[in-house]
Amino acid sequence: MSNEILEQQINSEYKYGFVTDIETDTFAKGLNEDVVKALSKKKNEPEWLLEFRLKAFRYWLTLEEPKNWAHLSYPKINFQDISYYSAPKKMPELNSLNEVDPELLKTFEKLGISLEEQKRLSGVQSNIAVDAVFDSVSVKTTFRETLSEKGIIFCSFSDAVLEYPELIKKYMGMVVPYTDNYYAALNSAVFSDGSFCYIPKGVRCPMELSTYFRINSIGTGQFERTLIVADEASYVSYLEGCTAPKRDENQLHAAIVEIIAHKDAEVKYSTVQNWYPGDKNGKGGIYNFVTKRGICLEDNSKISWTQVETGSAITWKYPSVILKGNNSVGEFYSVAVTNNKQEADTGTKMIHIGKNTRSTIISKGISAGFSNNSYRGLVQIRKGSTNSRNFSQCDSLLMGDKCGAHTFPYIEIKDKSAVVEHEATTSKIGEDQLFYCKQRGISMEKSIALIVNGYCKEVLNKLPMEFAVEAQKLLAVSLEGSVG
Amino acid sequence: MKLEKSQTAQHIIEKISATASKVGFISDTVLSNALLQIENVGIPNNKHEDYKYCNIDSILKKEFKNIEQNFINVTAINEYKIKDTITLVVVNGNYSEALSDKIILKGLQVHSFANIDSSANKLISTIADVQKDVFIAMNTAFCSNGFYLKIQKGEKLKMPIHIIYISGSETEALVNSRNFIELEEQSEATIIEEQILIGQGKVFTNFLSEKFISKNAKLNSTLFQNEGHLGYSVNTNQIKQEQDSQYHNHTITLSGQLVRNNHNVLLAGQNSEANLNGLFYSKENQIIDNHTLMDHQAPHCESNELYKGIIKDKSTGVFNGKIFVRKDAQKTNAYQSSKNILLSDDASIYAKPQLEIYANDVKCSHGTSTGKIDEKALFYLNTRGIGKESAKKLLLRSFAQEIINKIEPESLKEKITLFFEKNL
Repeated sequence: MSNEILEQQINSEYKYGFVTDIETDTFAKGLNEDVVKALSKKKNEPEWLLEFRLKAFRYWLTLEEPKNWAHLSYPKINFQDISYYSAPKKMPELNSLNEVDPELLKTFEKLGISLEEQKRLSGVQSNIAVDAVFDSVSVKTTFRETLSEKGIIFCSFSDAVLEYPELIKKYMGMVVPYTDNYYAALNSAVFSDGSFCYIPKGVRCPMELSTYFRINSIGTGQFERTLIVADEASYVSYLEGCTAPKRDENQLHAAIVEIIAHKDAEVKYSTVQNWYPGDKNGKGGIYNFVTKRGICLEDNSKISWTQVETGSAITWKYPSVILKGNNSVGEFYSVAVTNNKQEADTGTKMIHIGKNTRSTIISKGISAGFSNNSYRGLVQIRKGSTNSRNFSQCDSLLMGDKCGAHTFPYIEIKDKSAVVEHEATTSKIGEDQLFYCKQRGISMEKSIALIVNGYCKEVLNKLPMEFAVEAQKLLAVSLEGSVG
Repeated sequence: MKLEKSQTAQHIIEKISATASKVGFISDTVLSNALLQIENVGIPNNKHEDYKYCNIDSILKKEFKNIEQNFINVTAINEYKIKDTITLVVVNGNYSEALSDKIILKGLQVHSFANIDSSANKLISTIADVQKDVFIAMNTAFCSNGFYLKIQKGEKLKMPIHIIYISGSETEALVNSRNFIELEEQSEATIIEEQILIGQGKVFTNFLSEKFISKNAKLNSTLFQNEGHLGYSVNTNQIKQEQDSQYHNHTITLSGQLVRNNHNVLLAGQNSEANLNGLFYSKENQIIDNHTLMDHQAPHCESNELYKGIIKDKSTGVFNGKIFVRKDAQKTNAYQSSKNILLSDDASIYAKPQLEIYANDVKCSHGTSTGKIDEKALFYLNTRGIGKESAKKLLLRSFAQEIINKIEPESLKEKITLFFEKNL
């Protein structure tokens, strides 16, 4: 419609593109068994974890980088040209916040994440416990004490390995084994840190838990693991946020998130993914290859994924739910926005195994500029999963005539009592809708923001309040006025 | 996508290549491309994305160990005729002039590939690209004969054409069958293609039809497949439409041990319209796999698709439909719908409706649903004194009727209805 507005959009700045000048302890580039061993040693890991890493590494060596199936195109990644560990110095033994490097504090302050618990009481984000991950390590986990009063464990993955080895041994790799896929194997070999969360029986977590990922160093990859275990009849809402500096090089982020929900438990996982998407020519940006999966292990459990994806040059991500327990519920709500030369291939998998299981998929894709945005999803009803139900809706909105929107659903049904429905549409913003808004005195840009927000409402409504506000703003920035 | 060539099914390729006797209707370049493609890809197995649910490699390995082409000589085809149609007969892949009706209809021309003129010969293999699919390549490399059918400019055929593909062998056999159908500008035709299998041997058919629908022409076609448990086939229908043309197709598959239909429509000219309707009914351990591709290359085109499946016993049904809208195909309207009923817990359905869209001013949608027979409807009929079984049949009939009702001519509709009911 107007190049001018598109132009503006393209020039809109990535807000979190700054670099923190901080002294770091960084491994030399390259990947081999010694790196894996050195990494393990650095973190004082027990023998069994090193074994796990080595097994994963050796398995990874046998694999070939997957290239064919996803609707993405990017140059081959040179895994030897990445540093696999980078951590801010002055780290050991933090007893109070005063010992944290002030530069770090400032960084998180700038990102709107306060690491000081007292401030939160008066601040906007009043009640969120944060595990802040900076490059390869967790710098601070807030509210640990408050949470531990209820028996909730919330700490960095490295701490958990040392303090709760039994839990880690039991659950790590249960949902995403290291043999799962190429990036899961890589992550299992070289993961540096992440978050661990355990909600004991019958406890309803009193606050939102959150992990905030920040890539800062140049030439590094970020490989973290998140493990969430919800014991019987517990509840937790978990948030994840991420940003990275603006750089001309592509940086790799390959994470694993595993969720285990026991009987009657409920886990709600929300992501606002805002990695640096690269500039308007597609230079730079994060390659985001993430394996996220949850299992409803026992009866009546529920796992819900909500994601707002606006960042990353390449997104490859399929948050999934294995519905093993009877009457378990899986949900997936997603808004994926791509602009400029971004490419996203994202969706979900719902594997129905238990009886009377239900799943809902709502996916909203928005593509602008020269981007390609694909939904790829699997709904599988296994034999014996009687009376299972799935409803999927995947809508795509195209802005401009140089982008693409694609839908690739896989539906596999092996039980006659299953009821599965799938709907998908692709269209652009209606001229009549725009006209309606404009004749009521709403400017073009605001009209588009309004229509897009309305289009995504079903998903945004599922986000926790603090996140929903952020997500709405993010959508407005990402798409400011871009209409074709 | 290059795949490891399947070693064991290699004997099949060798077998066909040994029995192939070239008539020379394929140019040397195309032929060598086809051979190269076969060499590179081999017979696809389930690692091949397009054949994920239909492992042809392993089926051929298992079922076609001793191929001896003991073909049956067909002498009479009266029982298969449909009244008020012109019958053309293809026996084991060869066009039989003797069994076919005399072509007395104005504007219709039929020739075997062996004796066509050079202008028609140039068209062959221009629509079906050997690089696109290995079965196209195999047919192109090894098919020894076929027929060319043309409807002349401005002619509207008064009678439907009924093409009977009849194959039969007393032992395991392979058949390559091919044709090229051309509708010149402003012509109109109704074509019925029926695949029939006789004899006691398993037959694997690699069928390829290229159809070229010129400006303002209109083709109404039906493909009726009912080959029974000895029939194994891959059927490729490659359509190219010019501007303002119309294509209507009904693909009815009532049986076949393995039926794979690749139905690819290329909307190459503005304002063209394509409608695909499909009905498949699989039982026992049959596999029926329908792949469709709507390739919108030109603006202002419209496509509609409706496929319905009934999957019984231990059988497998597949629907994979893709709507592909290219960058310049603005103002495209494309709709696709797939509905399936599973009748048993051992039956499987795999649905993969896809949208791949590169133009922004379009309206595209797809929907798919799978379920069982509506319990409430069943109960309603029961309360009116209709027994469980007959109520079920009634509901299935009404499910299929939506597709069958669209079939022309009436005589064919009756024939298909009859076969469908026999199957229930």
